[in-house]
Amino acid sequence: MGRAPAGVDPATAPAPSHGPAPGGPRRAVGATRRLPYLLVVPSLAAFVALLGYPLYQVVRISLLKLDLGELIRRETVFVGLANYRSILTDRFFWTVALRTVLFTVVCVTLTMVIATLVALLLERLGPGLRLAVEISLVLTWAMPALTATVVWQWLFDTQFGVVNWLLTTLGVGAFEGHSWFATGLSTFAVITIIVVWQAIPFVAITLYAGLTAIPRELREAMRVDGASPWRSFWSLILPVLKPLFMVTCFLSIIWDFKVFTQVWLVRQGGPNRQTVTLSVYAYQEGIATSHFGRAAAISVTMVVLLLAALVFYIRLMLRTQEDL
Amino acid sequence: MSRTDLGTRPAPRRTGGLRAGPTTRKRLTRGLLNLAGVVTLLAFAFPVYWMFATAFKPSRDILTYTPRLLPWPPTLEHFQQAVSRPHFGDFLRNSLLVTLSAVLLSLVIATLAALAVGRFDFRGRKSYLLLVLVVQMAPFEALLIPFFFMLRQLDLLNQLPALVLIYFIFTMPFTIWTLRGFVVGVPRELEEAAMVDGCTRMQAFRRVVFPLLAPGLVATSIFAFVTAWNEFLYAFVFMRDPDKFTLPVWIASFRTAFGDDWGATMAASSLFTLPVLVFFLAIHRRLASGLTAGAVKG
Repeated sequence: MGRAPAGVDPATAPAPSHGPAPGGPRRAVGATRRLPYLLVVPSLAAFVALLGYPLYQVVRISLLKLDLGELIRRETVFVGLANYRSILTDRFFWTVALRTVLFTVVCVTLTMVIATLVALLLERLGPGLRLAVEISLVLTWAMPALTATVVWQWLFDTQFGVVNWLLTTLGVGAFEGHSWFATGLSTFAVITIIVVWQAIPFVAITLYAGLTAIPRELREAMRVDGASPWRSFWSLILPVLKPLFMVTCFLSIIWDFKVFTQVWLVRQGGPNRQTVTLSVYAYQEGIATSHFGRAAAISVTMVVLLLAALVFYIRLMLRTQEDL
Repeated sequence: MSRTDLGTRPAPRRTGGLRAGPTTRKRLTRGLLNLAGVVTLLAFAFPVYWMFATAFKPSRDILTYTPRLLPWPPTLEHFQQAVSRPHFGDFLRNSLLVTLSAVLLSLVIATLAALAVGRFDFRGRKSYLLLVLVVQMAPFEALLIPFFFMLRQLDLLNQLPALVLIYFIFTMPFTIWTLRGFVVGVPRELEEAAMVDGCTRMQAFRRVVFPLLAPGLVATSIFAFVTAWNEFLYAFVFMRDPDKFTLPVWIASFRTAFGDDWGATMAASSLFTLPVLVFFLAIHRRLASGLTAGAVKG
C-alpha cells in the first residue's frame, strides 16, 4: 500500500545484529521501528484486560455452579457442562431462543425492506421534501433507545395514546382504551415497531448515499433501453449496492439479536414472561436471581448462536478486508 | 423533458386521448411520491415532535383522548418538576463525568493506535486491524456476568469509575477504526515536506497532521459521547445507589416511580435527548460513511 516510509520496511531495514552502527541514523531507524508497536500497546492492553479476560471469564463461569451461596462464600465449584445441560433441556430456554431468532428475523427483514424503499423514495423526491425527510431520519437515528422506547410507550398508551386515537379516527376499529400490552404478541409488535423505527434511518441513509454514487448515465442508459424501474432495480441497483446491503444487514442482525433496552423497558419481559429474549433472560437469571453459572451459559450460547448466524458474513468480510 | 420527447413515447393506454396521457400520469406519479414522502416524514418526525410537544403542554391538554397537536400555551412546568426531583444534579453530574472521562480516555489511546496503523507498516498490522474490526461487534450484553465479578473483585461495583472503564472499551474500537480513516486521509507528502523543512517526526505530526485530524477527532468523539451518554444496561445493573445513577437510569425509573406523569417524563426525556439530536445533526454525514467502513454503532 506504500504506507511505510522508506527504510522502515522490516524487509529492507538492516538487521540490528550487524554490530554497532556508526552515527545516529541507525538508532533513529530502530526507534521508528519500535514506535508503531509502542503506539498500539495501550489499546491492546485494554482489549486484553476489558474484553479478552471477560470473554475467558464468561466461559469459565459457565462451567461453575455459582449461585448466591457460592458468591457469598467465594467458592469455586466446577461442574463441567452441567449448566449447558440444564439450559438445553429447559423448554423455556428453547422458547426464548427461538423467539429471539424469530424476532431478529422479523426486525431485520422489515428494516431492510422499508429502508430500501425509503432510500429509493429519497432519490425521487424534490429537494425540499427530501431534505425534510432526511432531517427526520437523522433525528430518529439520533433518538437514544431509551427515550425512543419511552415516547413510543406514550404513543401506545391505553387511555391517551395517539395510536389508539388515530386508528379509531381512521376507522380501523374501536381502539378507545385498547391495551397493547395485554398479550405477548401485541407487546412484541410494539417492541418490533420501536426497534425497526430506530433501525431504518441508518440503513436508509447509507443505501441512499450508495444510490447517489451510481453514475447517472448508467441509469439513463437503462431507461433509454426501455428497462422498467423494477428491472433496473434488480439488474443495476441491487448488484452495485450489494456490499452496502451486506454490511447493513450484518450490523442489523447483531444489533437486533442482542437488543436489551427496548425489550426490558417496555414490560420487563412481560406479560407473563412472553417477551423475554435471550439478553433479558441472561440478565434475569444472572443479576436478578443470582444463578450466575446458568446465566453465563446462556450468554455463551447466545454468542455462539450469533456467530453461527453470521459465519457466512464474517468469512465474506474477512475476504473483502484484504486491502487493509 | 420537452413535449416532443413525450410525443415519441408509446401512446397511452387510456382512451382519454393524448392530452390526458403521459403528463397526467407523470403528475399522478409525482403526487404519489410526494404523498409517500410526507407519510415517511410524519412517521419519523412525529414521535420526536410528540416528545417535545408533550413536554411543553399544559397538564390538562396531555390527558385528553383527542390529542392536542400544538403545545399551546407552552409551559415549563414539567421541566421544573423533572429538574426539581431529588438527585437530578447528581445524575447530570454523573452522566457528564462518566461520559467525558470515557471519551477522553478512548480518544487518547485510539489516536495513538490510529497513527500506528495509518502511518506505519509493521508486522501484525493486519491482524491488529482485523481484531479491531471484530471487537466492534462484540456483544457486550453477553459480558454482564463476567464484568459483575471483575468489578466486584476490584471493589468497583456501584462506583462511577466502573462505568468509565466499560464505556471506554465500548467506544474505543469504533474510535480507532474511524480515526484510522482520517489519518490515512491526511496526505503523507505534507508530513514529509515538513520533515524536509527540518521538523522531527513528532513535530511534523504535531504541527501538520494533528490540525488536519481535528475534524475527525471531533466527529469521532461526538459519536463516542453519544454512545456512552445513551448507555442503559450497564449503568442500570452496576449502579445500585440513587446518587450513582446516570441520566438513563433516572429516566427509566421515572415510569415506575411516578406512574403516568407523562408531562414530566417527556420533559426529562427531552432534556436528555436534545444534546444528542444537536450533535447528530452536526455530524451525521461523516457518521454514515464511517459506519459502513466496517464500524458498529455499539
